Amino acid sequence: MLAYSLKKLVQLFITTLGVVTLVFFTLRLIPGDAASAMAGDSLSGEALERLREQMGLTKPYLVQYLTYLKGLASLDFGETITTGLSVFGLMKSALPITLIIAISTIVFTVLVSIPLGTLAAFMAHKGHKGLDNAITGTAMVLDLMPGFWTGLVFLLFFSLKLRWFPASGDVNIADPASFLQRIALPVLVLSVTQIATMARITRTAVLEVLGEDYIRTARSLGWSELRVLFRHALKNAALPIVTVVGLSFGSLLNGTVIVEFIFNIPGIGSLLVNGINSRDYQMVQNLIIFYALIFVSINFITDLVYRKLDPRVKF
Amino acid sequence: MIFDRRRIVSLLAATASAALASTALPSVSTAQEKVLKVRFYDDPAGFDPATIFRIENENIAFNIFSGLTTYDSKTGKIIPDLAEAWETDDNQLWKFKLRKGVKWQKGYGDFTAADVVYTFTRMRDPKTASPYAPELANIDKIETPDDYTVIIRLKAPDGNFLHQVANYHQGQIVNKKAIEDAGDKVRWNPVGTGPYALDFIDVNSRIVLKRHKDYFRGPAPIETINFSIIKDENTSTIALRNGEIDLVMRANREEHLDTLKKEGFKMNRVENYAVALKVLNPSFKPLSDVRVRQAIAHAIDYDTINQATAPSQQAVATNMLMPWMDVYSDDVPKYKYDPVKAKKLLAEAGYPNGFTVKHLNTSAQGVTELQQFEIDFLSKVGITMKMELVDTPTFNQKRNAGDFEFATRLLPAVNPDTILFNYLHPSNASPKGLNGAKYDNPKVTALLESARAEVDPKKRKAMYAEIQKIAMTDLYYLPMYANHVTWPGKQKVSGVNINYLGQVNFFEVDIK
Repeated sequence: MLAYSLKKLVQLFITTLGVVTLVFFTLRLIPGDAASAMAGDSLSGEALERLREQMGLTKPYLVQYLTYLKGLASLDFGETITTGLSVFGLMKSALPITLIIAISTIVFTVLVSIPLGTLAAFMAHKGHKGLDNAITGTAMVLDLMPGFWTGLVFLLFFSLKLRWFPASGDVNIADPASFLQRIALPVLVLSVTQIATMARITRTAVLEVLGEDYIRTARSLGWSELRVLFRHALKNAALPIVTVVGLSFGSLLNGTVIVEFIFNIPGIGSLLVNGINSRDYQMVQNLIIFYALIFVSINFITDLVYRKLDPRVKF
Repeated sequence: MIFDRRRIVSLLAATASAALASTALPSVSTAQEKVLKVRFYDDPAGFDPATIFRIENENIAFNIFSGLTTYDSKTGKIIPDLAEAWETDDNQLWKFKLRKGVKWQKGYGDFTAADVVYTFTRMRDPKTASPYAPELANIDKIETPDDYTVIIRLKAPDGNFLHQVANYHQGQIVNKKAIEDAGDKVRWNPVGTGPYALDFIDVNSRIVLKRHKDYFRGPAPIETINFSIIKDENTSTIALRNGEIDLVMRANREEHLDTLKKEGFKMNRVENYAVALKVLNPSFKPLSDVRVRQAIAHAIDYDTINQATAPSQQAVATNMLMPWMDVYSDDVPKYKYDPVKAKKLLAEAGYPNGFTVKHLNTSAQGVTELQQFEIDFLSKVGITMKMELVDTPTFNQKRNAGDFEFATRLLPAVNPDTILFNYLHPSNASPKGLNGAKYDNPKVTALLESARAEVDPKKRKAMYAEIQKIAMTDLYYLPMYANHVTWPGKQKVSGVNINYLGQVNFFEVDIK
């Protein structure tokens, strides 16, 4: 286990260094920089050059790269180019918001989709095609709806029509009631797609297991259908489901970028989009490393959960 | 097990109680203090006048700072601000009499002539690296015979100098001590003499302005202005309809404006705020012929396009200047929609079968409705217009470098000289400046320079009229439409007068 963790850590280091280097240079390959993004219509020529100099964009790439690595090594994320604010400070206030949204979505998704998927599998197994088709069909349609569209529709319906949730306003974790109201819609929007995907996977996995011999044995022992379904079938079908939960965390981080924009949530997705649009290298560089770290850690956690679920899994 | 029943139950209970708490929360009544809630549409980038950018940031700074002069919100005319009066005999030596008893925000004391000297010196200091330094490059010497008099001697006469010292970036007067106290965070700690002071900012979500009680025109009617950053216009429209905000800073989409208007919201608006120009780059050979440029103007029916695409936001424009400018001239060649004439001109220029031209635009905007119409109109005279879509920074870079065939520009300005000098003077030819067509007509250049020096307003006006006439004949910059700016708001919000820089002076705004 220790050796495994160490090996993973070394891998993590190499991956991160690779990501850092790749991101650093690809960012600068994109035409335009922070100065020209900022200046827009009103500036050009010499004035722009002056701005560029002020932003430190005229230094050679290698110098910029080494300064950046040096900063990273001492865990100094520096200041954004466009606003001069501490990148770490911005990330610190944005990260909890995005994480809460992502985790709430996962929890909500698991709570809804696993029973739903299991139920669909059970119905299919018993030959009740109607309900199974209804669940699978709805899941399919929901799965295909793009997030930005669902976001707008939900906004129109829940916010404008029903007035349940506000469309704008402060997002302040210190005030949990208003915070929950503000993140409810984003979580709902993100969950819709996730639930659809996960319910389908659960259905397939459970359905496969329901045909196994040990399920028949369990039934023959006289246990209730519910117990057979949830304790025996679902548990054995858990491996692919966990994989999907792990993967979906990644796609959720993509999803938050869109919902944060639509619902004005000041999370890391917003920071990333702004950083890219304004060509704020410093901001984007550090955020991407951070995203990479999250992905790698989630893979790591998924591996550990695998092992816990199935003792046969060896590293 | 993946999940544990007890944990789920407790989690559900927690969520339910939180939801309950949120519905039970009473709405806080703010009857005592007037608060205005305004939509802000992008991330703030700071408010240091030396490095400020983009119109929404400028609007905040406009309310925090003052200039020696400022603009009347409704007419766009220069009016006194920190200077109560001024005089000049030759457009070269300018004497300003300053207002007494003006207080800085946040306890920085009294405003004096020394602040003016500090501001302009700082602005021109290469160390400040202000992109607006060239606007003040004409200053030769600043003298302060006493605390309330400033005498500025220019290197060359400039009849538009009052615009350079207006409440707009380089003209915004700052306080030396406040700048030094802010260290390297000047842009987040603005201290001015204007009606509102910056109280709080979270760059990701909101900006709060509190009124400056000692403002020299008296305290503003509203105590607090809360700007929420709402980027998506769908969301800001819903937020206004839901009553979450009182005023939307700039709405651009026709369908939103339409909905809001029908629902009875107040459509605060400034018309003809700036003109959008199509830049015809003569380094692309066909466009180097004046007949081809005029043919293009005759081939596209901008009037119809504007009516069809954005009737409430765009109007036809026939000149590089706007009709409300004091030196505007209507005596310029106009290009009526006439495809037959366009074809004839093209044939004369040696392009009877037209040619293919590339139009540079941002992928963020895509192919706009206007451009779809342009493609259609041009195809009728044999010209194929192809779109070259790139991302915004690339677009800016290519456009600045003059690396395009067709491009567009929109430069908001109150000072007519800003528009004409930037577009028409060869010293601003790309990549140095905004003159993307590298326009260089010696006659126009001479006129531009002598108009600046001319003291007699009549003669000056005649010179500018001549410039407009020549520019519209040469037609390297083709006016497509004049833009309107709309800030939809609740009926109870009054005094939203958007000026010709697209800004609102919140000192005039009140809420019932």
